[in-house]
Amino acid sequence: MNEQEKFDKLFRKYPHPVATFSQKPHLSRRHFLNIAGTGVTASWLAGNLSAAAPVITSTPVQMQNKAKNVIFILLAGAPSHTDTFDYKDIQGTTPTSFSPDTANGVMFPTGLMPKLAGMMNQFAIVRSMQAWALVHSLAQTWTQIGRNPAGVLGNVSPNIGSVVAIEKNADRTPSQVFPTFLALNSAGAAGPGYFPASYAPFKVNPTNTGLKNTTNPDGQTRFNARWDFLHHLDDPLRVNSPYGTPLEDYDEFYTAANGMMYNPVVTKAFAYSTADSTAYGNTSFGNACVLARQVLAANQGTRYIEITLGGWDMHVNIYAQNQLPTLAKQLDNGLSQLITDLKTAGMLDETLIVMAGEFGRTVGKLTGAAGRDHYPQQFAFFAGAGVTGGKVIGSTDALGANIVDYGWSRGRAVKPEDIESTIYSAMGINWTTVRYDDPLGRGFYYVPNSDQDIYGPINELWQ
Amino acid sequence: MKRIKWLGALLACATATGQSPVSDSQCSYFGAERERFVPKPKGAESDSARLTRQFYAQSTRAGSPIRNRPYQGTQASSNLIDQYIVADLQKNNITPAGITTDYEFVRRVTLDLTGRIPTTAVVTQFVASSDPNKRATYIDSLMATSQWVDKWTMFFGDLYKNTQSNVQVTIRPEGRNAFYKYIHDSIAADKPYNQMATEIIAAKGTNSFDQTNGQVNYYPLGIVGGGPSQDIFDNQTANIADQFLGLAHVNCLLCHNGAGHLTTLSLWGGQTTRLQAWGLSAFIAKTYTHSIATPKDPNNPNASYNYYSLDAYTTDYALNTTTGNRPPRQPLGTLKTVTPDYLFTGQTPASGQDYRTALAQFVTSDFQFARAAVNYQWAQFFGVGIVDPPDQFDPLRLDPNNPPPAPWTLQPTNAALLNALAQNFIDSGYDLKKLQRLIVTSDTYQLASEYNGTWDDSYAPYFARKFVRRMWSEELHDSVITAINTLPSYTVSGFTADSTVYGVTSPGFGKISYAMQAPDVVNMPDNGGAVSQLLDTFLRGNRDDQPRKEEGSILQTLGLMNDNFIESRIQATGSGATASYVTNALALSDQQLINKFYMDVLSRNPSATEMSLVAAQLETGGAANRKNNAVDILWTLFNKVDFVFNY
Repeated sequence: MNEQEKFDKLFRKYPHPVATFSQKPHLSRRHFLNIAGTGVTASWLAGNLSAAAPVITSTPVQMQNKAKNVIFILLAGAPSHTDTFDYKDIQGTTPTSFSPDTANGVMFPTGLMPKLAGMMNQFAIVRSMQAWALVHSLAQTWTQIGRNPAGVLGNVSPNIGSVVAIEKNADRTPSQVFPTFLALNSAGAAGPGYFPASYAPFKVNPTNTGLKNTTNPDGQTRFNARWDFLHHLDDPLRVNSPYGTPLEDYDEFYTAANGMMYNPVVTKAFAYSTADSTAYGNTSFGNACVLARQVLAANQGTRYIEITLGGWDMHVNIYAQNQLPTLAKQLDNGLSQLITDLKTAGMLDETLIVMAGEFGRTVGKLTGAAGRDHYPQQFAFFAGAGVTGGKVIGSTDALGANIVDYGWSRGRAVKPEDIESTIYSAMGINWTTVRYDDPLGRGFYYVPNSDQDIYGPINELWQ
Repeated sequence: MKRIKWLGALLACATATGQSPVSDSQCSYFGAERERFVPKPKGAESDSARLTRQFYAQSTRAGSPIRNRPYQGTQASSNLIDQYIVADLQKNNITPAGITTDYEFVRRVTLDLTGRIPTTAVVTQFVASSDPNKRATYIDSLMATSQWVDKWTMFFGDLYKNTQSNVQVTIRPEGRNAFYKYIHDSIAADKPYNQMATEIIAAKGTNSFDQTNGQVNYYPLGIVGGGPSQDIFDNQTANIADQFLGLAHVNCLLCHNGAGHLTTLSLWGGQTTRLQAWGLSAFIAKTYTHSIATPKDPNNPNASYNYYSLDAYTTDYALNTTTGNRPPRQPLGTLKTVTPDYLFTGQTPASGQDYRTALAQFVTSDFQFARAAVNYQWAQFFGVGIVDPPDQFDPLRLDPNNPPPAPWTLQPTNAALLNALAQNFIDSGYDLKKLQRLIVTSDTYQLASEYNGTWDDSYAPYFARKFVRRMWSEELHDSVITAINTLPSYTVSGFTADSTVYGVTSPGFGKISYAMQAPDVVNMPDNGGAVSQLLDTFLRGNRDDQPRKEEGSILQTLGLMNDNFIESRIQATGSGATASYVTNALALSDQQLINKFYMDVLSRNPSATEMSLVAAQLETGGAANRKNNAVDILWTLFNKVDFVFNY
């Protein structure tokens, strides 16, 4: 039978309008009591709220609501801001090969990132951002969950992508087989916290052969025969299971996995061609950008894609050819082509691209090891989803050490929590939402302290 | 009332004869009651009749002989767990599931106690044994194995979050290995749990790499950066409160008073102040946990490695911070420093006494320490704690003789049981094996997951059936290799070989075959390779911000169906000495092959229905197809839900 018939058969079997990657939220939380570890409230045991739909509150806000999808690029290791997107030419230090040029009053190292230099009117830069902490893994997690990981709810707080996934779950249609939240080259991506597993980042590293384990080594014919026999033999334990509902729930994962196997839509989206890989710079990062474009184009339910490009932690010999110039070139090749291709495909206007490291690096002269060390001043990069091209928000002093102009309405340094708010606003998600289904029962705030309006979206990006 | 009499009658007979099932020829009490157990041909079926009919009907259930006996726990049971559980079941008129069959029991308890399925030889011998005490005897034999040590080393490694690198700090493989060795050797030596807790809380040492003193690593693992040292004391205190007292709310209280924050969550928490929580943190305030650089490695001069030392600060917990991870700490009136005060009892260190030694004494002698410990164990064996989540205790809602004011209710689902278990644990000398023995020899633990009748979720707090649980990543790995009996050999980076860099020699632990022997959950056992990636999909967490979870995922099922780890083991390859598992099995008759596959993988025989289905499959397409069919059948068994689940 062809793919469509397979899906039809599948979803005749499960007529309820539950998308492939989701569980029935909150009702399944009760079922998942039996297979959930600590961290998921056994609500009826704690005598808290019933296991029905959780209480969710928010205050009305004006959202940008321009983006259908998000691509979040984490520059792990923390790139030097003054050598890249908050460029400062330091006499006697900065290599002349960086060839800074000024376009529309914005200085940019055209020698280091020539392609991005040629498209400055297509992206915006925030130069007034500062990190809270200078420890890599702490700050990386902070950036991905939009709050202090060492705080009380830190351990159970979901990745921003998981929040987007849970919010956009209702948009999924039964024929869509991709995860809502995809993580490429991001083995260490922050998880879904207390949210159910279906909102976890689906972690994949790009290959030219497609998604791992979506074919059986003994071939499709053997696999299909095995699949049929498995259900013939095991359905008594999977349907109305005498051992309990967790086995029925597990069967749903088998069904969803089967939907991704031998599926040309999956193969097409999750494998990159040689031509594309070359166009994007022939690197793992470039390949991830190819997959990101393909997955979004497939329109199979993915709405948030996280890509990690690491290696920026250049304490030693930062300007050596194999250090900053090489990594910046990887970024330049991959990101520029991604923006270009999304634009050609007519998808850029509905895709918000966000890029940041976990903090910045020391400024001015290099250290004794010819490198740059950790520093709180940093940048953030935005493109797509109607963001005003060429916009620069905020500015720093001549060295890039301190902010001289915040550049936005809140008149203070931009924080990861503001970046988080911006993402939600762009996606039409109310960032003041509080969900009272968290394991501690104190309420999970999408953006910390939103009831006090501490953080908020950078609306200037669209002005 | 009839039900109680019936249960009592059944128990009286069972204990009198020591055998099951009960027959009226062995029990004179039954004589008078006999006619009640004959199913009535018409009219409404009585409860007892229904139960009896179902009891005997189970003899035809897939693959297993008749369930040994219906649940017989009563308040007269010798197992204190059963006494309390049955009392509640009766009070609430809930019928529990039946007792596990021998096949179900041997598989479950072997997985639970030692982290892998039993071998066919073990299952066969156990089922065949006519020893009336065979379950207890088998339990004792499991507890004497190195596998038992490995499983519980992994469990406590999870609890104490022993890992070489977390979001805040890197203790390095050397530190992680030293702590692993401490946990492993303590478990192996049957160290009383209060002694283990004392050695950890009161740890002394200046070299975290020292394998004779690995518990020193507990404090470095609690470091937080980006703030004053009070942030570190607070985090270390929060870890102690969570892991040894089941009180995660202490972490909340170290930022702010409970009032207005914990008021609806915890009766105790809502009335407790930040100052009182500081009184706990003050026990840590004179501990200076800090890193020391190892000697420079001349071959790698740019690399910098640190080990940790526990030295001493001289001042008490100061209220003088304005920055960091927690809200400012400022003087309260004239109070500028906080001295140690164990808020649950008001105990303070004796004059000149080392603070953490005092803390260890106060914590381990606290009844809550015993409660938390037994509850963490209970949660592991039963899938849910008597207080759940197990680190959310509310100290003011635990005493059934002193229940909290309305609308608060007692927090534990069986408060009397929890306290009795805790007291029992204390009386046993905080003996982990004795606690586990009490748990797994109970009828309550031995209930089947299959429930006769209509299950209602409201029965769950009464533990009226076994809640299935999915295997841990490590259990899956170890069960697959046990079933096929092909043991891999892993060279685990940072664990296998001696480490002699940095001027410190840390002995290695040699290669491992079983995932449960790994000292950590990250990149184990093949250094982040294909096996590690497969095991990660089963959500073993990272011992930091991602706890171990039992949830399912698509990546898990894709892996079970297609990953090389299982696929490579089910192929029919080789001959003679190199013959694979399936190749060897092909020499057997259909019946023998199928029985072998079922026993090796699922620890049971196929039912009559299963045998006929599988035999037909084996013969499909004739002799030429038999080899492929055998491989496909083996694949199917590994993908049955009663493989990956512990039921």
